[in-house]
Amino acid sequence: MNDMSWGTLADDKAARLDEAARNGLGKIVAADQAETLLVSVLRPNDRICIEGNNQKHADFISEVLSDVDPEVIHDLHVVQSNLALPQHLDLFEHGVAKRLDFCYAGPQGIRMAQLIEDGVIEIGAIHTYLELYARYFVDLTPRVSVVAVEAADREGNLYTGPNTEDTPPIVEATAFKSGIVIAQANRIVDRVPRVDVPADWTDFVVEAPRPHYIEPIFTRDPAAITEIQILMAMMVIRGIYEPYGIQRLNHGIGFGTAAIELILPTYARDLGLLGKICNYMSVNPCPTLIPALESGFITSIHSAGSELGMEDYVAARSDVFFCGPDGSLRSNRAFCQLAGHFSDLFIGSTLQIDTAGNSSTATSDRITGFGGAPNFGCDSRARRHASDPFLQAAREETGQESPQRGRKLVVQLVETFREGGQPVFTERLDAWDIQKRFGMDLPPIMIHGDDVTHIVTEEGIANLLLCRGPDEREQAIRAVAGYTEVGRRRDPKRVADLRRRGAVRYPSDIGIDTRLASRSLLAARSVRDLVRWSGGLYDPPARFRNW
Amino acid sequence: MSDVLPIPQESYLELSARQRIARICDKGTFTEICGPEARRKSPHLATFGMPSAFDDGLIVGEARLDGRNIMVAAQEGAFMGGAVGEVHGAKLTGLLLRAADRAPDAVVILADSGGVRLHEANAGLVAVGEIQRAIFTARDAGVPVIAVIGSANGCYGGMSIAARSCDWVVMSGEGRLSVSGPEVIESAQGAGEFDARDRALVWRTMGGRHRYLMGDADRLVADDPGAFRSEIVSLLGQSRAITLETLRARNTELKQRIDTFGAARDGTEIWQAMGHSDPWRLPELEPDPFQAAVDGKRRKRA
Repeated sequence: MNDMSWGTLADDKAARLDEAARNGLGKIVAADQAETLLVSVLRPNDRICIEGNNQKHADFISEVLSDVDPEVIHDLHVVQSNLALPQHLDLFEHGVAKRLDFCYAGPQGIRMAQLIEDGVIEIGAIHTYLELYARYFVDLTPRVSVVAVEAADREGNLYTGPNTEDTPPIVEATAFKSGIVIAQANRIVDRVPRVDVPADWTDFVVEAPRPHYIEPIFTRDPAAITEIQILMAMMVIRGIYEPYGIQRLNHGIGFGTAAIELILPTYARDLGLLGKICNYMSVNPCPTLIPALESGFITSIHSAGSELGMEDYVAARSDVFFCGPDGSLRSNRAFCQLAGHFSDLFIGSTLQIDTAGNSSTATSDRITGFGGAPNFGCDSRARRHASDPFLQAAREETGQESPQRGRKLVVQLVETFREGGQPVFTERLDAWDIQKRFGMDLPPIMIHGDDVTHIVTEEGIANLLLCRGPDEREQAIRAVAGYTEVGRRRDPKRVADLRRRGAVRYPSDIGIDTRLASRSLLAARSVRDLVRWSGGLYDPPARFRNW
Repeated sequence: MSDVLPIPQESYLELSARQRIARICDKGTFTEICGPEARRKSPHLATFGMPSAFDDGLIVGEARLDGRNIMVAAQEGAFMGGAVGEVHGAKLTGLLLRAADRAPDAVVILADSGGVRLHEANAGLVAVGEIQRAIFTARDAGVPVIAVIGSANGCYGGMSIAARSCDWVVMSGEGRLSVSGPEVIESAQGAGEFDARDRALVWRTMGGRHRYLMGDADRLVADDPGAFRSEIVSLLGQSRAITLETLRARNTELKQRIDTFGAARDGTEIWQAMGHSDPWRLPELEPDPFQAAVDGKRRKRA
């Protein structure tokens, strides 16, 4: 073994840095030198991460890279969580990149599906966030990473701003495996407000000609919340949060969970639940959380990313949010996902649910991926600490007073029909067709039926923990599927039996008068109301203002 | 954390047309004319396979307000965005002509409309012309006509012309008043001229605060049914002259406005030119501090 070199990666990195130096590049690179930098440090077939998140995107470098000569740079293997911008897919169309491992492609879902079908993109796998971060440290370590940051100093110390998001695992995996770390910075400053990435982990800083693209994707306008959503929110509080005593939880980011947040200061407070539910959350700083937080419901929130307009409010509530010594939010998607994975309850929505409780957001013509829902929405077989809801769920599931292991609560919150009159409940998920069409090893199921404990619709709550066997589960799901075909095929006698045992509960069974589900229950009915609750600290983006 | 939570009071913007009538008028005094039981539906919508409404989206009738006789009309925004069709328009015209005849202390029009119902084409356009003429007939008979704007659809197209033909315009900051809607301007002139998705821009150019500053709205109120009610009460029985002189003065004022502000790209530029040193702050102010800030620094109707 003596004649074998064990530092080839470091040698290779040094050679690439030399090439950049020969091309006249120092640590700080001007925007018009970005292409020279990429061509100097990239090699064909490299694994590359060009940071793409829910909010911030290294869009400038992505654009520059898609324009390099594919004769020189080609067959790159892209490993990044989010591909939300057209530039991210241009890389593949222009022949610079070939292979892709990713988590989420929301708005690019249709084009993504087309490019996969045309053989332009080869998919390694569609991961969950935690899976992809994990594989950065196993077999998908990036050779070159580009991260998006708010500011950098001349040494290369980086400040991510409140949207730290994916930056830490990307930089850690790359920098410590002799990879090359490039930062796209909104501005170069003498001194960064706080050091999120130390200078000696950074190889280059490119001063971008414009701030990186950032999207307020978690802002839900209370004006758009419907009375159906309010009814469902009442059912969740009355039928799940209260009886299980849910203190540690993770909310999805749809209108359904926004409705829950907005009736905490009214409905839940009137039920005497202040201090008893929703104390610790893993969720982005969604503006609809403001009234609950101000009325004392929420003790602590850890966030995967920030939300545009919430910066000052978050900074002024550092008891609740995780903030740096500079005062601004420090988010971290990897840790937030981990925290949510080990919380007591996840609640979120989906586009399709089958009669076994499997759910999917993949529909026939688009590939959007999963994001974080699978990690949040599964029962961790690794959990060893107990809590009241964790134990109660297991007691219900096993029928034993002292179960061997606990059970996380995973709640799907859906209206029986979604936009366009499409039924959410279906005998067979589109995911199976997608698997076949794209030759996938597994169907793109977001949350597996055996991880789901409750399904809440405007009809009622199916408690799958109390169902014995697949037939009962199926009947409980049909029982809350309303007037969809799936719902109309329920067996009324068996449903009546399930209802007697509490496996199916309709609003009247939990003391909810459906007539009281009105918008007057909302603690804020407009974005302006949210600004008022925040004492003027929340500064909503222009598209959400009606004043 | 304070003991008193800022749970919002009832919002005028969120109410249905019937709820608005119930909140504005004295309790139990509203008598509907030509109500849903008469089933005067649109004769046109069925042609397009579209659903119709038994009241055609407009509720009209007589009531008392602060003990005085009024006539009231309310547009239902949830039905076709409050758009004016043939029957809808005829009901409003009929109410105004009845007012000219019976002389109540006011006709109150609770507007919530995107304008003419395009499906009814000429019938809708004619209806708007008839409404405007009927407003002038009522005013000429000495009946004050009050336009009230604070709903989600705002007051656009033909209804904006009708509103500005009234004696008084009462608006909330959430209300919008303009002939062309944001999407119409954007599709005609391009997003570079007007970005309809920039809602703050929409309100800076068409919203209640801007209209109040320009003198297009005479009263600015909070988004609260009670606040609307008291302002309407204060205007009962108060007519404004409608003569050749007042019309000429209005035309002169409008020409001045174009000369002074014609090059402005945004409401803020206009407000600055009017002497507001920190125009970006104005939209953020709640109604009371806003009134205080703009007092003496707003245009008034000639």
